[in-house]
Amino acid sequence: MIDIDKFNKVLKRVEKPARYIGMEKNSVKKDLNKVKVKFAFAFPDIYEVGMSHLGLHILYNLLNQEEDIACERAFAPWVDMEQEMINENIPLFTLENREPVKNFDFIGFTLQYEMSYTNIINMLHLGDIPILSRDRKEDNPFVIAGGPCGYNPEPIADIIDFFVIGEGEEVILEILEKYKEYKEIKASRLDFLKEVSRIEGIYVPAFYQVFYNEDNTIDRMEPLIEGVPRTIKKRIIKDLNKVYYPEKLILPYVETIHDRIPLEIFRGCTRGCRFCQAGMIYRPVREKSVDRLLELADRLEKNTGYEDISLTSLSSCDYSELQLLISKLMDRYEEKRVGVSLPSLRLDSFSIGVLKEIQKVRKTGLTFAPEAGSQRLRDVINKGVTEEDLITAMTYAFHEGWSTVKLYFMIGLPTEEERDLLGIRDLGYKVKDLFFSLPREKRKGNLKITLSASCFVPKPFTPFQWVGQNAIDEFYEKIDLIKNNIKDRKITFNYHDPKLSYLEAVLARGDRRLCKALIKAWEKGCKFDGWSEMFHYSKWMEAFDEIGIDGDFYALRERSVEETLPWDFIEPGVTKEYLIKEYEKAKGEELTRDCRLGCTNCGINKSFTGGVCK
Amino acid sequence: MIIRVKFTKKNYLKYISHLDLMRLFQRAFRRGHIPIKYSGGFNPQPKFSIANPLALGIESIEEYMDIDLYKKISTKDFIEIMNKELPDGIRILEAKYTEDKRSISSLISWSYYEIKFTAKKLNNKDEFQDLIGEWLKEDKIIIKKIRRKGNKITERDQDVKSFIGNIVIKDFSSKEDTNTGSVVRIDCLLKAGDKGNLKPTDFLDAMEKYLDVGIDFDTVEIKRLELFAEEKGRILSPM
Repeated sequence: MIDIDKFNKVLKRVEKPARYIGMEKNSVKKDLNKVKVKFAFAFPDIYEVGMSHLGLHILYNLLNQEEDIACERAFAPWVDMEQEMINENIPLFTLENREPVKNFDFIGFTLQYEMSYTNIINMLHLGDIPILSRDRKEDNPFVIAGGPCGYNPEPIADIIDFFVIGEGEEVILEILEKYKEYKEIKASRLDFLKEVSRIEGIYVPAFYQVFYNEDNTIDRMEPLIEGVPRTIKKRIIKDLNKVYYPEKLILPYVETIHDRIPLEIFRGCTRGCRFCQAGMIYRPVREKSVDRLLELADRLEKNTGYEDISLTSLSSCDYSELQLLISKLMDRYEEKRVGVSLPSLRLDSFSIGVLKEIQKVRKTGLTFAPEAGSQRLRDVINKGVTEEDLITAMTYAFHEGWSTVKLYFMIGLPTEEERDLLGIRDLGYKVKDLFFSLPREKRKGNLKITLSASCFVPKPFTPFQWVGQNAIDEFYEKIDLIKNNIKDRKITFNYHDPKLSYLEAVLARGDRRLCKALIKAWEKGCKFDGWSEMFHYSKWMEAFDEIGIDGDFYALRERSVEETLPWDFIEPGVTKEYLIKEYEKAKGEELTRDCRLGCTNCGINKSFTGGVCK
Repeated sequence: MIIRVKFTKKNYLKYISHLDLMRLFQRAFRRGHIPIKYSGGFNPQPKFSIANPLALGIESIEEYMDIDLYKKISTKDFIEIMNKELPDGIRILEAKYTEDKRSISSLISWSYYEIKFTAKKLNNKDEFQDLIGEWLKEDKIIIKKIRRKGNKITERDQDVKSFIGNIVIKDFSSKEDTNTGSVVRIDCLLKAGDKGNLKPTDFLDAMEKYLDVGIDFDTVEIKRLELFAEEKGRILSPM
């Protein structure tokens, strides 16, 4: 345990000390001397962000259900706390037993966002754990990682001992089971790594070497050790009704980003939006049954006292029995004043009906994501919504008394032209006209339209994985074009920082040569890069310069479909042929149907079974 | 009907804010099926209010709240259910139904604090006693009140002399061997509530400014011991 007097002293000095105290309802504190495996779940951002992450709650409860495993949480301390910890010589610790993370058997990082990589380095450093995998000794913890960014693990390949690719609920127990055996016979670190590398879904980067071509592209990747797989196949849970789901959730004292019950209704998505990584890597779609969901909702509500249930998934309106689920939830909870919310709404009439039902209890904010300003470009990205959908949805919303709407767009999409960008403005104006076309007595509140643009970042395992990102200057020009063409006080236009999006693109599609640059950037003080006040583009550029990394090579270069990509050795189930086909169709502005309406041959049903693809 | 409740907020729970505490209670009421009334409107909220919110970092062994119920449950059941749902630092000590039309917030007039600290320049209890005596003989005791309204910060002086009820030195141990000052515990009665409020931290700042005893603010620990109502010049429990 860390020095409690010091801990008490620093708590007095920091902002929001409750982030660091633990002791929340439903948290689990075990005697660490009485368990066989100590697992520190490390979230590379602050408490409020990490506690909003469903995966944390699932794995935390799953592991703690096992009597001989203790899972505790560690978060990135905010900069004020970090400084105090350094001053007082307090190492990074877990919240439950306030135990230094270096005393754990595993430190498991979740990879939700590329720009949290410097926080991983920082947390290891604060935890007195060697940053590079090869520097770790027999008594150091295993540093492991999983999550969506793990589909391109290469930029942090030198840091992580092994990655878990895909869904973790089953494989994590297989790993820890192996660890118990390993511990019992006191095998070496290397032996254990060899052992886990045989488990499906596990990638041990140190066992592979990458060879490069003269033009800096990848020639090939070779295993260094006999018996390790050439490709890593992702893990999936076949039956979501049978998979573990927590019935209790830790109740944070401080308000978190998502302070409500997350009820995961299904995994995967059938829509096939061509920019969306989640839509590809989480296939196939697997639903939980209405009965199972009602059972979970009941227990979670009883055990937490939360006043909101959020139906989470990649596209919740696509749940096949949504109407039934919602009406049953409403029947149960309306009187108890528990609200039901849908985080992602589509712009079709069906969604509107659902919205109507939900609004009986509580009014939530209204946001829609047309993603692109013109129908042509929406077809390119295979976002199956039309302007008519938007108009219908907005008409309904204004009739029902909404006056604040948010519309999300991306700029820098492939084939984008000036008129597509101006289409964003046009949509904003159309929505405004719609509001004022209502008779005065029907309008409620003050109209406020927010148009929000993010800069497109091409991601691995999407049909756009070969696309070159717009340069930072191009993004600024496009932003100015839209900004200068909106002259209406009812319409606000905001946008993401192109510099940050550029770095996201570098890291998202980078290779292992980036590790050094990441560490260099961290040495220069980069951390919490996702927080705009903490993001220092110039430091990153200095780091790239010093290490000899050309960011444009990763972010801006259009890659040929023949090129070996850094993540090609991972098998997500969706085939490369399919992605190429989709890329071609995008260029031809051709739509691909929602695969619930008929298989589109993405390949997932050949390598995996489960869900709708059975 | 209103149930008036006395509770604690101790140990690490002193680090949760007033709003955090409100949410914590709201969820505990829900888990315990306490028949609490809700406000109307688009965003119905449970009807309960906590008197004289504590500042972050201050413990209390006596806090009060009023809860509006739509159905009567026995106070014994209430205490039992709630204490099962609440974290250790927060305990319901007492509960009783009240016919009082005045809210608990409007009743509270005084707050009694225990303040512990190390004073680097203090070595003698009598000297400290005299210093306090002199201080309280001043015509005025001025503190700076900072108000934030949006981005505007305004500062004004406030005379808080009448807000200090008494100061009692409860403990005094000088570290003579090291000559690093003394560990002190004082109890003090400070005005609280709508009709004037003196925060213990402001009190301590003002005291240090006048007495100059070298308070090490890292060592300060404040605990609220009691809250009082005032009626016809007499101080009494709000229960």
